[in-house]
Amino acid sequence: MVKFLKLYEKIGIFILIVFAGIFLAIASPNFLKVDTILNIITQGTYGVIVGFGMVLAITSGGFDLSVDAVVGLTSVFLSLLIPNIGIPSAIILSILISCFVGFLNGLIITKFGVNPLITTLSMATIIRGASLLIAKGRQIPISVEKFTVIGTGKLIGVPNPIWIMLVLFIMFFLLLNQTPYGRHICAIGSNESAARISGLNVTFVKIMVYVLVSFTASINGVIRTSQAMIGIPSMAPGFTLLVITITILGGTSLSGGKGNLIGAVFAGIFISMIYYGLNLIGVQYFYQLLSVGLVLLFALFVDGLRKRYLETAKIKGIKV
Amino acid sequence: MDDYRSRKTKQKFGVFWGNFGLPLIFIIMFAIFAISTPSFRSTYNFLNNLSFASYVGIAAIGMTFVIMTGNFDISIGSMLSLVAVLGSSFIPKITGVAGVVSTVLIACLLGFLNGIIVTKLRIPAFITTLGMLFVFRALAYIYTNNVPVYISDRFWLYIGNGKLFGVIPFPILLMGICYGVAYLLLRRSPVGRYIIAVGTNSRAAALSGINVDNIKILVFTLLGLFVGISSVINSANLGSANPGLMGQDFEFQVITAVVLGGTALSGGNGSLGGSFIAALIVTFLNNGMGLMQVNSYWQMVATGLVMIFAVSLNKLKFFLLGQGEF
Repeated sequence: MVKFLKLYEKIGIFILIVFAGIFLAIASPNFLKVDTILNIITQGTYGVIVGFGMVLAITSGGFDLSVDAVVGLTSVFLSLLIPNIGIPSAIILSILISCFVGFLNGLIITKFGVNPLITTLSMATIIRGASLLIAKGRQIPISVEKFTVIGTGKLIGVPNPIWIMLVLFIMFFLLLNQTPYGRHICAIGSNESAARISGLNVTFVKIMVYVLVSFTASINGVIRTSQAMIGIPSMAPGFTLLVITITILGGTSLSGGKGNLIGAVFAGIFISMIYYGLNLIGVQYFYQLLSVGLVLLFALFVDGLRKRYLETAKIKGIKV
Repeated sequence: MDDYRSRKTKQKFGVFWGNFGLPLIFIIMFAIFAISTPSFRSTYNFLNNLSFASYVGIAAIGMTFVIMTGNFDISIGSMLSLVAVLGSSFIPKITGVAGVVSTVLIACLLGFLNGIIVTKLRIPAFITTLGMLFVFRALAYIYTNNVPVYISDRFWLYIGNGKLFGVIPFPILLMGICYGVAYLLLRRSPVGRYIIAVGTNSRAAALSGINVDNIKILVFTLLGLFVGISSVINSANLGSANPGLMGQDFEFQVITAVVLGGTALSGGNGSLGGSFIAALIVTFLNNGMGLMQVNSYWQMVATGLVMIFAVSLNKLKFFLLGQGEF
């Protein structure tokens, strides 16, 4: 049983995808076309990219609920800056501004000692308000045609967002698994006091984590804005729940200390497949919202069962 | 500088703040608004605000209990909307009185559901209620097909708009009763002590023979009860139950009120009186900003800042009292 659970941790989601894939292939002839599959994966990249950041945040024992607001903020800044300073500078500046938001989050959480939940929740409200203020409540169209290449262009037939996701995946994977910093994140998530006493610079690690989450959120903002070609201050409502669902479904444990990046990728694709399937049946938007909530609860239920089983197994002396 | 004198000063400051800090903030804020905006000064405005404060204030009672046990509930905004649309849609079939009662009962049931999921399925309260936030809201949309339910029943409307002796709004009386009952529950009954025990150290509470799970389910159900009452008042004020718009940011305001009121998020002893004054502060702040014609986007920023400010202030208080780190 223990072996099964360990295996599940690694490839559980992948099996779900295979099942879903078979189901969808039977249900719709369109599914097996390369275009459709690429489309589904592209839709999945939204949640996965930010999911990378969220994996780091949850692994370090915290949370970030401000991601949807950061997406909107990035969007607004892009639409305002591109006409003035050109595309590359605008992108860099917008991403930097979002990273600053993450820095503020990290600062308040570490220096003021405020619960990450409350901090990021409040910050989300503040940033939403700020985005609306800066955009004066309007949605600002972007007229520089070249910008749309990021979100809608393709390199050797594969959409750009997928490439971006791959590059980020490699970055984050190396960061989490091959660098000391990554190990520090896991340590802090497992037992913060022990990590602090061992001499780890908890403050620095945590602040960097929140900067990285906002970084991924702003990348998502760049992709979305380049697809929509409009700066929308209230972009991405409800996105946070999606990202958290993807992270947890992907196997990152809420208690911290274990981050699963590959799982997040598969989970994102899986949820994208669910959306595709629901759209196929013609299910309305509200039912989709309902299903994401239910999937989250289910994922947590399974996660909880798994944790408890492993705990009791340890006590009983079964080798874990 | 940890010598006796400085510690004593800090303690005195902490105690002063603990007892008078919030009312002081309220008076200062009230004064600022009263001086700068003439329309703020009328008795009508004051009573109106007090009445609106019941929206956040009554639910804050339930949330105080939940937070005292170390849990959380961010689904109450969606709960508010769902129970309002359900209950008000029943009015034509059963009377208005039964509609009100069923709204409150359904809310209790939803709270109970939250409690069960948190205790029996061991899913963290925050995540459970985050998921439920979407589930409840989606159910409200689906049930009404996104069409608001208009309320014209006299009994229901009276709860939100009626005035005793022609002057005092009914919600104020309702709020007083709720706080009175809650006070008795918390300070004059064993259950109150159990709630505090569970929040302070649930392991110790369990070993002392307290049924921790039952207490947690109880506080979630109570939160449902009070949210149900708030829901009736709110929908009565608006004259309709709107599945999409009702309860937006509600959970945020209620949690701000509870935290500002001095109840620690980590659980343990809390303050009902604090929640009450904090609810007043939040309501009067919104009203004042509205009357001063502050941009609603700035209001959003201000609300978020108040929240962070509130929690930091709380931490500061604990630090001054020597009970925590800053």
